This record gives sequence, C-alpha cells and structure tokens, in this order.
Amino acid sequence: MTTATAPRPTRLTSRRPTATPWLFLMPALVLLGIFVVYPIGAVVYYSLTDYDIVRPPVFVGLKNFAALLEDDTFRLALVHSFVYLLVTPILIALSVALAIVVNRKLRGIHIYRALYFVPAVSGSIAIGLSWRWLFDRSGFINSVLQSWGVIHEPIQWLATPSLVLPIAMLLTIWAGIGYYSVIFLAGLQNVPEELYDAARIDGASDFQKHWYVSIPALRPQIVFVGVISSLAALKVFDEIYVLTNRTGGVLHSGTTMVFYLWQQAFERSNAGYASAIAIALLVITLGFSIVNVRALERGNAEGDR
Amino acid sequence: MTADVVVAERVRVGTTRRSRRLRDAGWYLVLTAMAVITVFPFAWMFLTSIKGRTDQITSVPPQFFPNAPTIENYLKVWDTLPVVNYFLNSTTVAVATGLLNVLVAALAAYPLAKMRFKGREAVFYVLLATLIVPAQLTYIPSFILAVNVFHYYDTLPALILPNIVSAFNIFLLRQAFRGVPNELLDAARVDGAGEWRIWWSIVLPIVRPSLAAVAIFTFVTSWNDFLWPSLMLHTPKGMTLPVGLAALQGFFASDFRSIAAGVTITVVPILLFFIVVQRYFVRGLAGAVKG
Repeated sequence: MTTATAPRPTRLTSRRPTATPWLFLMPALVLLGIFVVYPIGAVVYYSLTDYDIVRPPVFVGLKNFAALLEDDTFRLALVHSFVYLLVTPILIALSVALAIVVNRKLRGIHIYRALYFVPAVSGSIAIGLSWRWLFDRSGFINSVLQSWGVIHEPIQWLATPSLVLPIAMLLTIWAGIGYYSVIFLAGLQNVPEELYDAARIDGASDFQKHWYVSIPALRPQIVFVGVISSLAALKVFDEIYVLTNRTGGVLHSGTTMVFYLWQQAFERSNAGYASAIAIALLVITLGFSIVNVRALERGNAEGDR
Repeated sequence: MTADVVVAERVRVGTTRRSRRLRDAGWYLVLTAMAVITVFPFAWMFLTSIKGRTDQITSVPPQFFPNAPTIENYLKVWDTLPVVNYFLNSTTVAVATGLLNVLVAALAAYPLAKMRFKGREAVFYVLLATLIVPAQLTYIPSFILAVNVFHYYDTLPALILPNIVSAFNIFLLRQAFRGVPNELLDAARVDGAGEWRIWWSIVLPIVRPSLAAVAIFTFVTSWNDFLWPSLMLHTPKGMTLPVGLAALQGFFASDFRSIAAGVTITVVPILLFFIVVQRYFVRGLAGAVKG
C-alpha cells in the first residue's frame, strides 16, 4: 500500500488545521484503542505474571518465558504452525490453476464458480463437522476404501497422530481454493487479450501461454493471497478444534499455537502463561509480516508498471 | 487492428468446431470433478441427515441414498436445541456488526482518502499494525474487559462491540473513496457544503457498491465467527449458530444422523444469502487487491 498518491490539499481545507479529520477518525480510533491497542499492552503485562483470570495477577518476571523454552508441547505447537504454512503455496498454485480454468467462456461457468465458493461461506464449524464425519472410523472414506479392497481394517484417521495435521491442512486447502480463485479470476480478467494473442503467434502452447502471461500478470494477487493466507494459517484454530473434538489431538498431534494459547488460557486458566504464548505468536507474526509487507510493496511496484 | 492480431484471429477461427467441442467437454469434466469434490462433504451430510433408522450410514460399501427419507433427525435437533434462538442471535449479531462496520469504516476512510492533515501517516501505520496482529492475541484481555468492565459476558453486545472496527474494511473503503474525483468535492466546497455534508451526500452515494461489499463480507465473517463467541456465550438460548453447532457434538455424541441434520440447518440459510448477494463477493474480493 502506498501513500505517495495522496490527494492534493484543497485550498478550503488546508488553510488551517481543523478537528474535522479527527472527528471522522474518532470512532475507529477509540474502538481500536480499546479492543486492540489496550489488549496488546495488557497481554505484555500478563505475560510477566501468574494469572488465573479470577485472582489478581502476580508479577513473576520472565518465568513464563523460561517455562515456554522448556515446554515440549509449545515446541510442538510452534512446529505445527510452521508446517501449516505449507498450505499457502499449495493454495496459491491450485487456486491460480482453478482461476485459469474458470476464466474460459463456457456455458454455465457461473454456476461452477459459485459452487466452488460454497465452502468459503459455510462456516468452519459446519465444514469441520462434515469432514469429521467423512474421516470418522466408520465414515465414508473408510467405507469406500474398504469396499475397494484398498484397506481391510478401518483407519483411525483423526486418532492417528501423523494424520491429524495433514487432514486439517487438506480441509483448509479445500475450503480456500474457491475463495482465493475469485481474487485470481478478477486479476486475470484485467489481462489484455492481446498479450495472449501475441504469445500464441510466438508459438506458445496453452501451458506456456499461462506460464509466461497469466502468472506474471497475477503477481500482485499472488502476493496478496500469500499474505492473507499465511496470516490465516498462523492463526488456525476452528479446524483443529472441530476435527480433534476440542482435544488438540492424541499427543497434541493437532495442537497449533493459537490452539495451545486457547487451551492454556481458557481450559486450564493459565492466563499468564497463555499470554507468553500470545507474545511469542505476536513476535512471529510481526517478523513474518515485515517480510510480507516488503514483498507486497515490491509486488505493487511491479504491478503498477 | 495490428497485423499480429489479424493473424491470431485467423488461427483462432481455424480451430475446427469439432475439436473445440471435444476440448470443451474435457474442461467440463475437470470442472465437474472439482465441483463434486467441493460439494461432496455437504451432500454426504445432507444424505446422512435424511436417513432413518433402517438406512445404513456406516455400511461397506456406503449406501448413498436413503430407502425411506425422513425428517425425524431434524425434528430431534429442533426439539433438543433452541435452533430458532441460535438463528435470531446470529442474525442480530451479523446485521449489527455489518452495518456498524460500514459506518465506522466509511467515517475513518474519508479523511484518510481525501484530506491532508498532521498525523495522517501515523494513523495509517497504526491501522496497518492492527491489521497484522492476530485477533486471538487480544482475547485474554478482551475476556477480562467483558467480565469486569463492560459486564456484557454472555450477551450479544459482547460479540458486536469488539468487532465494530476493522482496519481491513477501512483500507478497502479508503481505496474506493480515492476513486471519487476531487473536482466533485471542490465544487461542493465552493458551494459552501461542509465536510460532513460532502461525505454523506456526495461520497457515500458514489461508493455505494463498495459499502455493500464491505457490509456483506463483514456479515458473513461475523455469522461464521466461532472462537470469540464460544468464549463469550454460555447460556444455550443465547448462543449463535456456530457455537450451538459445536455444542451439538456434546448432545448427540455419536448420533451422526442428528449432527448431520444440525449442520444442514446451519449451512442452508447462509448459502441462500450467498446466492442472493453473490456478485458483491466478487466485487469485494477483487477490490481488496488493489490496496
């Protein structure tokens, strides 16, 4: 996002400083102050205390952070959250491909586009429950695999530690493809037809045409989706909550950072410790975002050319 | 038309009709396969929900269609859970959040797009920062605020108030406002209109489609929000649909027919809503990227 193109001041408003802009901004700033800025400050303080939400916090210095370093579950949650970021490149590749396919002028294409968007509006709890049912021990997936003779005993999909996270990631990808492909589709529709014609004349195959024309043209969208889907991946909670029936999975196999934060704060009443987890998440997200914003600026600069 | 384009046109026309039809059939196959993958979990849920006691839901091979379709599972859910309350609560929260978001974001976006004043950059960066911070980080202090300060724990305002402002929406509307010609605003100023008047009677009507997109997006996000509502809502009758739905697992344990009915009940209203307002989603998502 750039501020270089700020509108020129009009003579009537710039003559002297007025309160007007601040009056317009006030509701937003007050609410952000109460519900974002204050809580971040409070979380920093709580992270230095022993706090169970009921009794007043007791200052303990860096004890919670020292405990975090020793906590195997936290380390696991950290690893899981980073592994979860793998959904981002997969989502980008698949939704760009889908956007290219649905950009064709085929009869009824609007119906297909709408269908692909359905998971994005259905709500994570509803789709999570439907997946839990598919992957149940006696669910559809096992039933099909057994009838095809692929397996003889039903697989405990969601009770097998190595499978919980991949299934949750698959769910995130499945639910996101239609959503993100709408963004890419909008980008594709701005690509001048002449570029494709030129590529065709140069003898480009269908695949080359998209590789050399569509993908570069979609750069701003790719960066944007990369940013929002990776931030979403770092925050994943609902999928894990439903798929593991609010346990986080056998041996914490599905526990992510936000899930662990929730578990410590609201299941075990360790608000101080949970706040330390929150700070760790904040640091990771900020670090990640600095990288992202850089990429975004670069993407925008190239997109504006 | 350049020579290249003419040649390209000839090449395109040269493709025989039959081979094009064959290729289209291939694409339809791909599209349909993708549609089946997308829709199947919902379809399976629905089919499970209308199966009676004599129909198999766990057989090998799977039984797809019920021999005796029934609504008894729906009646059971209806009798066990205050579904109507869930629905009304969700609607209240999502409508209020959507409308208030548009109002607050439209107010904040105007000076950011159309005025120059000291501190503008600072506001801009504060907004950007709040965009990055995951909301879940704030839930512990927000929980304590809800209980000790606002005293709205277990009420609907607890879901609305913290979600009235979204930096993302402000940026989206700022983008739309920047598209409004400055000449129009200057002309109004010369005619003696104040900034509030200009905001209300000139800027807002022009960006109405963007306002609608923001309202609808926020509505759906709020409708599907789960974590914060699950922390705030305690009384069954006061729950929203996702929170009630998550509680369903507790009520029906392994009665998948009823769980499936519950899921279907919650998905249908938002799908109908989506069908009606579909085009705004596309507009909203497309507009978001220009950032």
